[in-house]
Amino acid sequence: MKRVLAVALLAVLVLSSFAFAEKTQITWWHAMSGSRLGVVEAIVDSFNASQPDYEIVPLFTGSYAETLTKFIASYPVGSAPNLIQVYEVGTQTMIDSDAIVPVYQIPEMFGETWDWAQYVIPITAYYSVDGNLWSMPFNSSTAMLYYNKDIFRAAGLDPNKPPTTWAEMEEYGQQIVDSGVVENAFSTGWPDWIFEQMLATHNHLYANNDNGRGGLATEVAFNDDFGRLILDTFVRLHDKGIYIYGGAEYSANSAFKGGQIAMLLQSTSSLAGIIKASEFEVGTSFLPRFEGYPIGNSVIGGGSLWVTKGQSEAELRGVWEFLKYLGKTDVAIQWHKGTGYFPVSGSALKVLLDEGWFSQDQAYLTAFLQILSGRRDTAAALGTRLGPFVEMRDQYRTSFEKALAHDLTPAEALDEAAAKMNQLLADYYELFGD
Amino acid sequence: MVEDRFPKHRLLPYLLIAPSIIVIVLFLVVPFAQSVRSSLYVSNVFGTKTIYVGLRNFARLISSPDYRSSVLTTLAFSGFVIVIGLSISLAIAQLLNQKIRGVGFYQVALIWTYALSPAVAGVIWALMFAPSTGIVPYIISRITGGPLINWMTSGEIALFVVAGAATWKMLGYNIVFFLAGLQNVPNELREAARVDGAGPWRTFWSITFPMLSPTVTFLMFVNMLYSFFQVFGLIDIMTQGGPGNATNILVYKLYRDGFIHLKSGSASAQSLMIFVVISVAAIIQLRVATRKAIYAR
Amino acid sequence: MILLSRRSWYKLLIHGLLILLVITIAFPVIFALITSTLNFQQSYEYPPRLIPSTHFFANAAVAWERINMGRILLNTSFISIVVALAKIVLALMAAFAYTHFKFRGRALLFPMTMITQMLPLPVRILPTFGLMASFGWVNSYYALTIPFFASTTGILLFRQFFMTVPRDLPDAARVDGSGPMRYFLQILVPISKTNIAALFVIEFIFMWSQYLWPLIVTTTGEMRVVQIGIKMLLASEQIAPEWNVIMAGAIIAMLPPLAVLILFRKSFTKGIAMQSEK
Repeated sequence: MKRVLAVALLAVLVLSSFAFAEKTQITWWHAMSGSRLGVVEAIVDSFNASQPDYEIVPLFTGSYAETLTKFIASYPVGSAPNLIQVYEVGTQTMIDSDAIVPVYQIPEMFGETWDWAQYVIPITAYYSVDGNLWSMPFNSSTAMLYYNKDIFRAAGLDPNKPPTTWAEMEEYGQQIVDSGVVENAFSTGWPDWIFEQMLATHNHLYANNDNGRGGLATEVAFNDDFGRLILDTFVRLHDKGIYIYGGAEYSANSAFKGGQIAMLLQSTSSLAGIIKASEFEVGTSFLPRFEGYPIGNSVIGGGSLWVTKGQSEAELRGVWEFLKYLGKTDVAIQWHKGTGYFPVSGSALKVLLDEGWFSQDQAYLTAFLQILSGRRDTAAALGTRLGPFVEMRDQYRTSFEKALAHDLTPAEALDEAAAKMNQLLADYYELFGD
Repeated sequence: MVEDRFPKHRLLPYLLIAPSIIVIVLFLVVPFAQSVRSSLYVSNVFGTKTIYVGLRNFARLISSPDYRSSVLTTLAFSGFVIVIGLSISLAIAQLLNQKIRGVGFYQVALIWTYALSPAVAGVIWALMFAPSTGIVPYIISRITGGPLINWMTSGEIALFVVAGAATWKMLGYNIVFFLAGLQNVPNELREAARVDGAGPWRTFWSITFPMLSPTVTFLMFVNMLYSFFQVFGLIDIMTQGGPGNATNILVYKLYRDGFIHLKSGSASAQSLMIFVVISVAAIIQLRVATRKAIYAR
Repeated sequence: MILLSRRSWYKLLIHGLLILLVITIAFPVIFALITSTLNFQQSYEYPPRLIPSTHFFANAAVAWERINMGRILLNTSFISIVVALAKIVLALMAAFAYTHFKFRGRALLFPMTMITQMLPLPVRILPTFGLMASFGWVNSYYALTIPFFASTTGILLFRQFFMTVPRDLPDAARVDGSGPMRYFLQILVPISKTNIAALFVIEFIFMWSQYLWPLIVTTTGEMRVVQIGIKMLLASEQIAPEWNVIMAGAIIAMLPPLAVLILFRKSFTKGIAMQSEK
């Protein structure tokens, strides 16, 4: 009898030790939908399988805005996730939130040193404050020009010579429209982001205080001749039928895929989907420039990963291991190939170049060349960080639409946008500035 | 007159209404009071820093062209849903009220849209009106020979489509109530009018419609609440307030400002202003109803 | 020329109009149903295709899997039934109190009604959410149900009905020696069956359609409701919406409330008719 009891006790102890050896769960909220969700899950599965201590539990929590809202709702009550993906326009909000642990502080907590330079610098610069990385870049994209080579041919244009300047956009666009192949020559996604791109690629500030990077911005800086030039161009091309308004985000993509427009200024993250769904030859090129103006760089969009404050040490360690994992060459390559987002690690980029990934399809290389060939030393080229960025973009869009509809002249539209945005910045400063 | 049917039980009535009162106080009145309070502040995202600004949130709203246009949009939208919705429903109810076979079948076949949620109604209408590929723009362009209408780029069309979807969904509900109201109109009155030589149109306006006024008032109020609040799902699915704020009705603007732009002070002020609008409308409708009811006697 | 009396022509006209109306009103859903049976290519045929195909179950399976439809149907059914029943119970109790007792709280009825009518959720959404947070109810069934428990529509409905109950009934019951609760449970409630069913339909459909509140109060997929599931379906393709899959999901989403409406149709229309009688 005593023997049986002893064996039973031993069994219980052994079994319960399995319970104590449970994996630490790390929750990760993200906004990667559609085909990107599959890649996320594949990467998470391989991480979970690669080590016995931590289990990442990813959760698709809706759009970027909804994901951020849920975070804000859950943090004060202690039910926030360990890791959260936030869109780039939420960067300042997260920095000011006092709810996160800046990523650069984490390695020290575990006595590690980490080489931050292994990541692609224009990307990390966006998410850095005073040279220190606050969030881990994850899904970064920029904007570029897509064009339909078949329509170019049909309109009598050289399919290997896309427009590089706005003068050429107008000239080629006019030729396309005149040829009757399509009714309108080009459209864009994210008109507010494209405006920001235009400023940045010409090394022009969007807001003061170094685009919000040197301190909270208090005023916008685009309400001048150059800003008016951008708006004038769009309005003029719209009046000529060369440009057609494409909505707030990705609505113009179906028109491009359906062969109804010849060119599209859109996020590089649309590349995979566009190539898959289009029945024509797709070409890509840099964003068009205004000749004679300085050179800057295209801005980074997308999102990054933020680490929530108040985690246990075990959880934090798990998060850190996962962040390191994401930067590994093969994982970064897997993410890029599956989604079209930039690989964040320099070594991944090198491998992709070496294996000839880009020569298989030139289109994927364009985005990189654009980022890598631009400046990285000025605030204007590194991107803007603003507190009320979401609402400011909404405001730009509204004013832009009014200019297109001729409710306002371009100058008036910019004045209206600038006035409203400055008020938003002032309100934000009231709460967060010191 | 209500009488005390169980005079010995003094405590029981309080126990019976207690759960309802508790829920109402806890989840309606208290939050409302908090709304009032927070509308006087601006605060940061987590509420850890607040600044008292008095009536500034309200002043900003009233002087903001965006807010004013949201009010107008809401009124136009609501007006459409109420006027068009009730007119069509009443006409259909009148048809259903005739003595014909298969009334039961027709009834089910016409009221079932009530079971749909605003979100589902929205997604179905989004399909039908999809810009380059939808069936309705196709049909319309075949009939008029014009270009395909695109509700994603035209504010007026978007508002129209959204209002149409909202009205369509409520038809079933309105029809049920109108039918009930019509069946309560005594036939003798109608017969008397016919004997007097009044045509069906005249009979309708002088006899039937006045007797329907309690139903009309009730449905106006319900449809108003519906078009102010419950259509949120429809708007979020179809247009998210766009294009260019064309469908940014008050409740949607409130959601955007509170939950996407993270401005809780302004959102609280907006919720109070909606409350004022609804209360005024409710009081007006109550006044009209009691007066009309007196006349209907 | 067919010899029909004027009355028959008239009836034919009415039938014709009604059938036309039935088809027009049903058209959007019919089109949705057709689309849900197509595959992706077919759903983008132009001119839009009106001939159904055979892919409904394939699409439904995709939709089911993508948004974990089983779980969200469960969630939504649960909260819809719980809230509908709770509202009915609370309303019955309150209406009973207001019609059969004289007590000081009677004056509260009218203000209660007005308050709930004029304070729909969006008017108090941020603080109510804050309340959920402080109770620790965020992302739980509690948050999805309890704030909805008060229904003055129900109280008014039952109150009106109870006032039509013959006066001698409670007196007879009292003579029999049964107390108020006995009377309530064994006599009043059973005769209110029609109104209860009508209210159940209304409240079930109301809860099933909830969108804004679940949107902000649930954070994980486990607690998601059907309406938000539909939104997730829409969001899943950023380049071109998969209408066939979305419609399959929408059709599934509309079946339960439709079933409730059709099952209880007679009581529903009767209950409303009763309420309209003055």
